[in-house]
Amino acid sequence: MKKLSPIAYVPRRDTLQTASLGPVALYLGAYLVVCFLSSDPVVIVSATAGAAIAGYGCGAGRAVKFSLKLGGFLALTMVIVNAIVTGRGSTVLARLGDWPVLGRVDVTAESIAAGGVIGLRALGTMVVIGVWSACVDPDRILQAVHGVARRSALTATLISRLVPLAATDYARIGEAAALRGPAAAPVGRGAMAHRLLAGSLDRAVDVAATLELRGYARQGGPAKARPVPSRWDRRFRLAGVILLVVALVELAFGSGRFDTYPEIGYEIGSEGFLAALAFLAGGFVTWRRGARR
Amino acid sequence: MNPVAESTTTSPALEIEHLIYRYAGATSPALSDISLSIEPGEFIVLAGGSGSGKTSLLRAACGLVPHFHGGEISGRAIVAGLDTGENGPGELADVVGYVAQDPETQIVSTTVAAELELPLRFRGDGPAQRARAVEEVALALGIPHLLPRNVATLSGGELQRVALAVALVTRPPLILLDEPTSQLDPVSGDELIWLLRRLNEEWGVAVVLAEHRLERCLAAADRVIAMGGGRIEYDGGPSGFLDWAVTERPELATPSALMFAGAGIEPLPTGVKEARRILRSREGAAPTGSASSPERRAEDGPPTGPAAAGPEVLSVNRAWVELDPGDGPVDVLRGVDLSIRAGEKVALMGRNGAGKSTLMRSIAGIVDVASGAIETPGGVALLTQNPGDFLVRERIGDELPGAAGEAALEAVGLDLSPDRDPRDLSGGERQRLALAIALAGRMEGEKLPALVCLDEPTRGMDRGLKNRLDELADRLSGRGTAVLISTHDVEFAVSFSDRVVLLGDGEVVADADTPSVLSGGWYFASEAARVFDRPGLVTVEQGIGLLKGTEH
Repeated sequence: MKKLSPIAYVPRRDTLQTASLGPVALYLGAYLVVCFLSSDPVVIVSATAGAAIAGYGCGAGRAVKFSLKLGGFLALTMVIVNAIVTGRGSTVLARLGDWPVLGRVDVTAESIAAGGVIGLRALGTMVVIGVWSACVDPDRILQAVHGVARRSALTATLISRLVPLAATDYARIGEAAALRGPAAAPVGRGAMAHRLLAGSLDRAVDVAATLELRGYARQGGPAKARPVPSRWDRRFRLAGVILLVVALVELAFGSGRFDTYPEIGYEIGSEGFLAALAFLAGGFVTWRRGARR
Repeated sequence: MNPVAESTTTSPALEIEHLIYRYAGATSPALSDISLSIEPGEFIVLAGGSGSGKTSLLRAACGLVPHFHGGEISGRAIVAGLDTGENGPGELADVVGYVAQDPETQIVSTTVAAELELPLRFRGDGPAQRARAVEEVALALGIPHLLPRNVATLSGGELQRVALAVALVTRPPLILLDEPTSQLDPVSGDELIWLLRRLNEEWGVAVVLAEHRLERCLAAADRVIAMGGGRIEYDGGPSGFLDWAVTERPELATPSALMFAGAGIEPLPTGVKEARRILRSREGAAPTGSASSPERRAEDGPPTGPAAAGPEVLSVNRAWVELDPGDGPVDVLRGVDLSIRAGEKVALMGRNGAGKSTLMRSIAGIVDVASGAIETPGGVALLTQNPGDFLVRERIGDELPGAAGEAALEAVGLDLSPDRDPRDLSGGERQRLALAIALAGRMEGEKLPALVCLDEPTRGMDRGLKNRLDELADRLSGRGTAVLISTHDVEFAVSFSDRVVLLGDGEVVADADTPSVLSGGWYFASEAARVFDRPGLVTVEQGIGLLKGTEH
């Protein structure tokens, strides 16, 4: 039975899936920019929540859950690592003594807060990428790339096909390794990697042959991708422009402040407050009346 | 009229003149002085054992040879007026479609609709042309419901259908198929063959179909080309082919032909329908039964397992297995009961997705049962579908070191130098080596595990290899090991097994001796059973006996 990755693209007739590539890139790009670059935890949390709402709105709930889990784990790791590695800050919560390599380790509230912001950025970025991955058809991206950079598109096509094939091969070879008799030589990482690499090369040859047979190498190049008219394009374009402007204004002129060292200090400015509201509300742009979630 | 369209109406679909081809680094040619001509609208079956040159011929006809695979070539191949020496596969894409054995490597897009559009985009077709072509080919192949699906969610049969649709979407006058049914169950395989015949008749597409299981497709063919050692050994009609095969290459003859030839009846039938017609026309010939005969009705209810002697080596009690393909858990096995005793040879059959592989993996302990219990008191070894997955090193001696390794090789009847590279072995030898790897260390002295499971080992095998697999099963069974083989190949199940377990949607729907199960259906029935429709009659030998009047 074939198992589909939680963030794999699933074709649906929802808003993000049917809208054109440009407006969707603009809309989700605004979320990515603010999640990646903002230092305001409220804005990042709002943008993450907005991206999750957007994902739920177009049937990508599984991808959102998966991204939240993975991003949450990543965020927690970052908080812990930052708390241990960075001893800065005046509010000491725990003194863990002298550690090898690290020396004296003091856990401070400030280092936890700083790690938390980095973790929130990672979490938000993961959610936006998860929604993009589950809702945007990779074929359309490849078609768009093909027009500008043919060789890159070939490479991308091969990789996009080889990744799931390699994953299948890995699962199969792993299963075969578990079924080897106890006296057969065990399959170490080196042997497995060697076998996978050899298998991937064979697979790449097969996929390349398929592309040849489809006419990839024809002179003149392919016809342009069929424009798929969507009634949601205007909505995403408008929302994307507004959110991007709000994000840039908040990043460039935001009057709020969030200090982590030497002490935690937070004050949300009017631009930050507006940005948080806008990104939270912006998540509902993907929702439409009567849609089943 | 464009040049391609003009050439396709005035030229043969494929013309090959004195073609000789040798792969780069090979010592002997894969194709030796091949000359043939295929007219538009012909349906041709390409027969021959493994390594006979079928795949190389198909590659030469679509331009992959020499443009993609390299090597040395002489002679000419012309497809619908285009010389493959001057035109690569891309240029030939309009006039020839190619479907390979493994559908997974033939799909490069994410969705079915995008995959079907791809060759049209490369050809430069406009949006309206592409939309119509995709719609038409999807309707012709009965896959419009698959268009929005992600290809990663398709079954093997669905993938093969999509690969066929992609090959046809540019409406080429010639389509080449390399063992497209090897991974399909009998139902999907038969559907694909008759779909090809329908496309051949309705669209006028010339079809060249390379296939091992000729009984499945000979009735649909206009002509048969048999290959051996890179040469054409026979080229003519299906009836003439059977006359030739019965005397010259019996391993290529169909069960019906072997039965009729054995009983001295002529002409030899190309399929079940013709065999029945010939029998009806012969006064006093062995009568066929009927699905509603009293004998058959007396067997109401699913057949149950035969009583077998020997200790129990497998006990499956009400086993339920749940797997999650990604959109929620699904019951793949639903309350399976199964018992196998020492030395039994059991065939596990059922359509794609019926749960055969899951059952085997549960028996081997790599999939957990959700409820119920599975016991294998004497140990179990499982060989999964692709023996190559077991071969990860470059020396046999590195795969199987020490005395235990030697004992395992001896158990499967392999006597090979430990320095040989597993990749240089033949398909049958690789399979035996993989089985030896699964057995190594699971033997007590020379005593084998009580149960050996092989998951679809007959995929892509010619009859010679199947015979050797049959011998291996006999060898293991002779040493007291029970052998459980899952297979889609009904004729192999007849020759190999004492008993057949038929799975349907995760449940055992039949479990009885081989003659009972394989003479009682339409799809899961041997050709002899379909010809005579008599309870218990499944083998060629039984058919010959009946035709000669020595068996009733």
